[in-house]
Amino acid sequence: MSLRKLNVKEIEILKKHECFADNWETISVKDGFNPENIRNVTFAGNVLLGKFTDKITFPDGLEKHSGIYNSYLQDCEIGDNCYINNVANLVRYNLEERVVIENCATVVTEGTTCFGNGIEIDVLNEGGGRSLPIFDLLSAQIAYMLVIFRHDQKLIKQLTRIIEAYVNTKKATRGSIGKGSKILNTGYIKNVFLGKSAFVQNAVRLEEGTLASTAAAPVHIGDGVIAKEFIIQSGSKVDGSALIDRCFIGQGVKIGKQYSAENSAFFANSEGFHGEACSIFAGPYTVTHHKSTLLIAGMFSFFNAGSGSNQSNHMYKLGPLHQGILERGSKTGSFSYMLWPSRIGVYSVVTGKHYSNFDTSEFPFSYITEEEGKSHLTPAMNLFTVGTRRDTGKWPSRDRRKDQVKYDLIHFDLFNPYTVGKILDGYNLLKSLVEKTPKKQEYVQHKGIRIKRLMLKTCSKYYDMAICIYIGNELVKRLNGAKNNLKSLIDLQEKLFPSDIKSIDKWIDLSGMLISENDLKRLIDQIGNNEIQTVDELTKHLKFYYDLYEERNWQWCCRLIENRMEIKLEELTADKLIQLVKDWETSTIKFNNMILKDASKEFDQTSRIGYGIDGNNEAVDADFEAVRKSYESNSFVIDLQKETEVISKISKELIEYLKDLT
Amino acid sequence: MERSEVESRVNKVVAKVLKIEESDVSKDANFIFDLGADSMQSMELVAGFEEEFNIEMDEDKALNVQTVSDAVDFIVGSFK
Repeated sequence: MSLRKLNVKEIEILKKHECFADNWETISVKDGFNPENIRNVTFAGNVLLGKFTDKITFPDGLEKHSGIYNSYLQDCEIGDNCYINNVANLVRYNLEERVVIENCATVVTEGTTCFGNGIEIDVLNEGGGRSLPIFDLLSAQIAYMLVIFRHDQKLIKQLTRIIEAYVNTKKATRGSIGKGSKILNTGYIKNVFLGKSAFVQNAVRLEEGTLASTAAAPVHIGDGVIAKEFIIQSGSKVDGSALIDRCFIGQGVKIGKQYSAENSAFFANSEGFHGEACSIFAGPYTVTHHKSTLLIAGMFSFFNAGSGSNQSNHMYKLGPLHQGILERGSKTGSFSYMLWPSRIGVYSVVTGKHYSNFDTSEFPFSYITEEEGKSHLTPAMNLFTVGTRRDTGKWPSRDRRKDQVKYDLIHFDLFNPYTVGKILDGYNLLKSLVEKTPKKQEYVQHKGIRIKRLMLKTCSKYYDMAICIYIGNELVKRLNGAKNNLKSLIDLQEKLFPSDIKSIDKWIDLSGMLISENDLKRLIDQIGNNEIQTVDELTKHLKFYYDLYEERNWQWCCRLIENRMEIKLEELTADKLIQLVKDWETSTIKFNNMILKDASKEFDQTSRIGYGIDGNNEAVDADFEAVRKSYESNSFVIDLQKETEVISKISKELIEYLKDLT
Repeated sequence: MERSEVESRVNKVVAKVLKIEESDVSKDANFIFDLGADSMQSMELVAGFEEEFNIEMDEDKALNVQTVSDAVDFIVGSFK
């Protein structure tokens, strides 16, 4: 880029255009500069100006000529074809090409800043001790390690060192606004880095932050937003007068409708509207849409908060130290309340108000209800509900991340070694409770919550069915791939089953990414032993383990088959494999039928209350069907019925294939 | 087992699980619409019948048990 000083003629033109400068000598321009579109501008300090040759199209379709109008610029670099109009103070910023700033009071960099990178936020535990340093490459997995593994000082120290080194690269005395970004009608921006194509309109105040916007996935900041000390990753939208204070907002997140959040991290595809977040770790797909919903001092993922959901950590003596964990896939019903500390098992539903502290992590897919002021647990109830099925289907299709780089690594499978491991725990625990609980006893008490004795056996049966489905899902997937190539049982055993089966170790949900405990230990050792030096290397290592999922999952499943059938894989006969396929078919179809039964409730007499209100029963039915259509025509129902047909077909084909094995 | 005995014991289970008076349990009463059973109580009823009569109710078949008389029919049938 060739730079030169303004010539005398250009200075004359600028003066004629009501422009002023402390010193015209400190203004540099690029070759091709034309002063024609610079009017009523005051320059101070070192200013570099590009060319202003093109017109800029605004969001409302208006076209305006690039240039600088009615503004004050100090120590700035203005790229080609920027449009700056009515900016009271534009100070210490570098603008890439085609940036638009119009009707803004102040856009300024003061002192040395890292633009929100490195700010430590107190997630999960308000009292501190789990501080999370935020930065623009942060992923849910890195955050999980930083927040949860505080007991591993070597790991934390090393992670902190890696992050500090990265944060130092962000240190600057000038802000930057990326190519094509637009800032319109905004009050005050201080020490904010804007990536490419960021769009800020009608915001009130943005301070100490980064909008990690990209051309593929712009960040959008809208009406009335006040944000201080923040990182917002690509593809996210914050608007609707949201109040953001010391927050990390990951990719594809939506925050708006007067949402207020402090000391909180929201990872991929989370949504926060209307309510309030305080010290939360919102893992991927944490969603809260309704007024009066407070999420506080908790960890969530794949979570949906009902209206008025509330938790409290106030029964403390030494400060707000209590925290809550809702494992992946949990939900809270309207006006549910939980007293922290508590821990809710995966895919569980909490309704009612709970004033005792409990831990249901050994009982996944449960209903946690309140009866006469007592907390009740019904294990396995949420295995065969419409909600679980629908949620599982919708999450992958609702991934809003458009950027090529996706920071959060997410495994979506409903049944996987993590959830099925928990189902196994629950199954074994229920079996032991069945054996040791006398029939005269109405309830058993387990880790702070009551379970009806009568349900112990039934719930264990449902867990058992889920295990059959998981094994079948994994086996069928691989048999389907093998059936055209492998024609003998020996070949099948050799090719299908892994030779190096690991022990059936525990799996961890690293906030969306599933990893075996052994692999996680390896990763932690690699970090602790200084084998990983940079954020980039850390991200690559995480991706390596993320990609191992399918392989490790199958190894885990094979070991489960061995344990369950009390047989070595090499001893698996065709008959045994057929039995596994049959069990899968039976259990899956039973589950599907139970889900269909659950769906049918939405078409029953109770659901028709409020329909056809001015007519007789015929009018009720007619009105209901006009609005809700019939059970038979419901797309969810049709899809599930089709799935059942497909399962039967696959099962039949595979049984034939297995029978024909030589 | 006589049908009348099954009916009597079914009524007891229903009353206990749904926390209602036995006298409120009529033969044709629908567990959900008439007796107010929710989804969890429906499962509890199945568990209650299984324990009371020492039987296993297949999940698919249990889905069709909607009324008190359905339950009685199912249980009587399971003894045949």
